[in-house]
Amino acid sequence: MLQMKYFIIFCVFWICIFAGIRSEAAQSQFQKVKVIVNTSVPASTVSEQQIRRIFSMRQTVWANNQSITVFVLDKKHQVHQAFSTNTLGMFPYQLERVWNKLVYSGLGEEPIKVNSEQEMLDRISRNPGSIGYINSNTEYENVKVLKVIKE
Amino acid sequence: MKLLSPYRIYILCCIFISGQGFSDSLKVHGFVSQGIVQAVDSNFVDDDEDVSFKLTEVGLNASYRINNNLRVAGQGVYLNGGNRYPEGLRIDYLFLDWQLLNSPNWKVKAQIGRNKNYHWLYSSTRDVPHTRPSIVLPQSLYFDAFRDVALGVDGLVLIATTDNDFGEWDVNFSIGKSKISKQEQQNLLGKSVIGELNHEIDKQFSLYWRPKLSNMQWGISILDADFKYDQALGDTFFDGDETSQRVMFNMLYQGEKWEFASEIMKERVIVNNLLFPGYKSDATGEGGYLQSRFFATPDVTLMARLDLYDRDRKDRQGSQIELLSGGMVPGYFGYMDQATVGASWLFSKNIQIQAEYHRVKGTSRLAPFFTPDLIANDSKYWSMWAVQLMYWF
Repeated sequence: MLQMKYFIIFCVFWICIFAGIRSEAAQSQFQKVKVIVNTSVPASTVSEQQIRRIFSMRQTVWANNQSITVFVLDKKHQVHQAFSTNTLGMFPYQLERVWNKLVYSGLGEEPIKVNSEQEMLDRISRNPGSIGYINSNTEYENVKVLKVIKE
Repeated sequence: MKLLSPYRIYILCCIFISGQGFSDSLKVHGFVSQGIVQAVDSNFVDDDEDVSFKLTEVGLNASYRINNNLRVAGQGVYLNGGNRYPEGLRIDYLFLDWQLLNSPNWKVKAQIGRNKNYHWLYSSTRDVPHTRPSIVLPQSLYFDAFRDVALGVDGLVLIATTDNDFGEWDVNFSIGKSKISKQEQQNLLGKSVIGELNHEIDKQFSLYWRPKLSNMQWGISILDADFKYDQALGDTFFDGDETSQRVMFNMLYQGEKWEFASEIMKERVIVNNLLFPGYKSDATGEGGYLQSRFFATPDVTLMARLDLYDRDRKDRQGSQIELLSGGMVPGYFGYMDQATVGASWLFSKNIQIQAEYHRVKGTSRLAPFFTPDLIANDSKYWSMWAVQLMYWF
């Protein structure tokens, strides 16, 4: 009796998953973003997998053992949404879920939130080892652009 | 002189050596929530089954980075869940986090002290309202009467994370024990308990895998926990022991509009003596849930879930329970299946209201676990609703 129930539920579940995946296909267009780092950061490129790792707070040091400080904009900021979806390949709520787990279970720390792209630029230019992102059209100085290599 | 005690000097040194201001090293967060809840035809929340405000969860946490390898983290909470778990203030977690290896591709650390349970999908933040899919979690796995034991351990946790060509991997191991409060002993054994139930040892292991650049996650976890009961003078229970062993699998898919989550488990419970000298019981229960969430707008989420649990896989209808008790204990104490629908609305920054309705068949996960409350839980079908307002920072 119960096994039959499990079976039916399992089938419904996978049908829903495929329906869900199909609906993902229609994604809205977002603006382009640039990943920026402090000029002290030794890297000039970063893989897609690694950038996910950094913003999920799973990687907290650069290859030269320098600590990484992560800056992010509000989850509703268009630039954050574009960065999360296009660059990381993660929806903003997924990132938030990861950070919530770190903060409220003691496992780690979440990124530092900034209020504007200007503040992002300002803080990244001043903090060694820091990383963040800005709109492609935003002018910048005293920071370095990191090229993300799509896999 | 007291101002310059070695301890204070040490702390000051740490701040200067780390080369950062105090504010960068110290992070403080918290949450406040209040709800209204009613369980009809069961003692799940309250004995009188009335509308209740016993749904309060408040917490404050801090994380202080001493240097690149050492960090201290702690959280204090005040909880009130009625009959679900003991009411009051408690230290949710408090540990020293020690990075053993930190490279771009590998992280290995040890956490020493009071740790959370990091092994199940929602176990590490089960009291933090805005991180949960529902106000009351699926009882097959997140069994409230067993909650304090499943919450975490006082002991050691080892965590390793890495990435390779197959994707992201997390490995967690924990060993330790937890204190079982008087109310929780009553939740497990019955109101008449006067002896001492002790958690001897708890070992848990889990492995999570997220295939490379995908929105899927797969996990497996195993648990082995031993308990010992010491009889008191005039006790209705006897010296005895209990062992719980669980194997669990979980999966999570996170799409743009949809999220699907499922956890299933097999749970073997072995009891020796305890109820009377020579008593032996070895039963394997099965349970699990399937949950879908639909993100209707960025602020509104709808949720539907089906949760199933059978206390003994060889007696899914509970007919043995009925037979062995001479018809005293109805068969519906052998299972508990639950359908839940809910919605949440994030109506302002970090302020959310959540509501849900549960329809339940069976009473197997209601307290007390070992000696059923036949008067309060005399209905095969029961229901529950809850609304909770929450704020976090």
